[in-house]
Amino acid sequence: MVIEDEEGLRESIEEYFSEAGNVCETAGGYQSAMAKINLYRYDCILLDITLPEGNGMDILKTLKENNYPDGVLIISAKNSLDDRLNGLNLGADDYLVKPFHLSELMARVSAIVRRKTFNGSNLLLFNELTIDLLAKEVKVRDIPVKLTRKEYALLLYFIANKGKVVSKNAIAEHLWGDGIDMANNFDFIYSHIKNIRKKLMEAGSNDYIQAAYGMGYKFTEQ
Amino acid sequence: MRLFAKYNRVNLIATVIIMLFTGIIYYQAISWILNNQKDNDLNVEEQEIFNYVKLNNRLPQIFESNDQQITFTPVRPNSVKREYINTMYFKKWNDEQGYRRHNRQHKRDGEFEAGRGLITSVTVNGKYYKILIVESKVETEDLIRIIFFITISVILFLLLVLMVINRLILNRLWKPFYSIMNELRLFNIADNNEIPKLDTAIDEFRELNRAVLAMTAKAKYDYKDLKTFTENASHELLTPIAVINSKLDTLIQTENFSERQSKILSDLYGAVSRLNRLNQSLLLLVKIENRLLQDQEMINFRELLEEMIAQFEEIFQDKNLKVTCTLSDKEIYATRYLVEILLSNLISNAIRHNYNGGKININLTDESLVISNTGADLALPDEKIFTRFHKSSASEGSGLGLTISRQICENFNFSLNYQFQSPFHIFTIEFK
Repeated sequence: MVIEDEEGLRESIEEYFSEAGNVCETAGGYQSAMAKINLYRYDCILLDITLPEGNGMDILKTLKENNYPDGVLIISAKNSLDDRLNGLNLGADDYLVKPFHLSELMARVSAIVRRKTFNGSNLLLFNELTIDLLAKEVKVRDIPVKLTRKEYALLLYFIANKGKVVSKNAIAEHLWGDGIDMANNFDFIYSHIKNIRKKLMEAGSNDYIQAAYGMGYKFTEQ
Repeated sequence: MRLFAKYNRVNLIATVIIMLFTGIIYYQAISWILNNQKDNDLNVEEQEIFNYVKLNNRLPQIFESNDQQITFTPVRPNSVKREYINTMYFKKWNDEQGYRRHNRQHKRDGEFEAGRGLITSVTVNGKYYKILIVESKVETEDLIRIIFFITISVILFLLLVLMVINRLILNRLWKPFYSIMNELRLFNIADNNEIPKLDTAIDEFRELNRAVLAMTAKAKYDYKDLKTFTENASHELLTPIAVINSKLDTLIQTENFSERQSKILSDLYGAVSRLNRLNQSLLLLVKIENRLLQDQEMINFRELLEEMIAQFEEIFQDKNLKVTCTLSDKEIYATRYLVEILLSNLISNAIRHNYNGGKININLTDESLVISNTGADLALPDEKIFTRFHKSSASEGSGLGLTISRQICENFNFSLNYQFQSPFHIFTIEFK
């Protein structure tokens, strides 16, 4: 469920998530959003705080007052600590500041949905890959693969965005945060990816990561 | 100098001068009056001698007296001019007590005292005599001395009282002024506290208070206006950037790009992310300048620095940089978020302006953090580098990094300075 007043952004998100095989509904305003959340339950709600007819925080309050189990990810242009804390205190699961990459959004949503649906289970399975999310361990058919922290984060990111081309900018910002102003130096991303591929293939996994037109990488399921 | 110290000084000097002046006049007047009196006594004595001579036709017998001596000297006729003189009076000790009293200082049988004399003449039986009558002035001198001491004590007492009163009154009078000053000093444009209206009977201070109130209200209004504008502008900018970003992300999902197209797309990505960073930096700068980020805590600076360095590990390796760290424990009271930005800015600068295989030294002591890096063998313009949008033509940065860094430092009362000691560019943060 996407609650976002900016049409262009709403459409992009919807398209990106639908293509990845999710069922997506949208609401462009406060009223329609309220109507929908009171009728249906969603795995995750993407909530914009600044809506034309009302405040997104009120929607969040309604959700929590009624004990609806929907995961909530706030997307907001306001990057102030107060807003962030406010949102998280009210029971939001995550807070993402605009502008963001769709792949980042997808990774965050996947994390929320994973937490909601696989209660208790910490294992993420992908073909022959098994990832223990608590211990942060990766195994290929029971053969453990030693990945560095960044490589592990990158692998999770790719799995969340499987089948999508992920731009280098998005990867850089995901790994180093947008505070670190190094996004134009992509060489080390290349070396990270080279390492992951090497380690996974040495453990007997398929090669899932493909370079995409020099702009990014694609994690394909085949 | 404080106004009231200055005022007190002028006041004191004037009082002292006037007092001294009156003291001198007073002294002169008293000694003139007393001298006059002595002269009268001398006249009476002279008259007595004349009367005696007229009656008995011989010189009177000379009596030893405590405060009067008369001598007769035969001289040439008409050689004596009658006049009053200030002279010495030789006082003999005439009793045991007096002798004992003075024998410590004087082993003689008497001492000289100030005296007043009258020289006159008389003719007895055709003989011409000079008469010298000397009277001791000790009593008068004593009197003058006592008067003088009383005057001095009165002056001193008066000065003291004046000072105390001035201090008390001026302090009370200026109280409203200091309270306004204090409010002004505490005034923070980002705060919601108003400067309180002052209750004072003094017109000047009421006026001042009114002016200050009007000024702060205006400043606050303008500031709020500007803040709303920046906030709105940022929000309005962020949404289109978000749309561009998401559209680009969607666009690259559609397959089959030519090499040329993908090059254009990469450039677009780069430009958008730069635009985004620039916007974020501007916002951040406004926030720091307006001190909107204030939740401070004790931070283990060393730990934080180590974390930051670990974050940059891959980038160091990528550029073959040799990083040397000497870190000692240091705790600071600051906003974590801002300190992270500060460190990240300085370290990424040290990387960006370095050459392949260069060096970075990071040195943390209790007093300072020094980050030095190799780079272009040319000193940077010292003060310019901290101004907004100053950057080298080759730089990929926003041109705001050092401005933000310096603002953050100022926020916590640190100082950030640049030095060039070939081959190192050195940035030093001094904790105060």
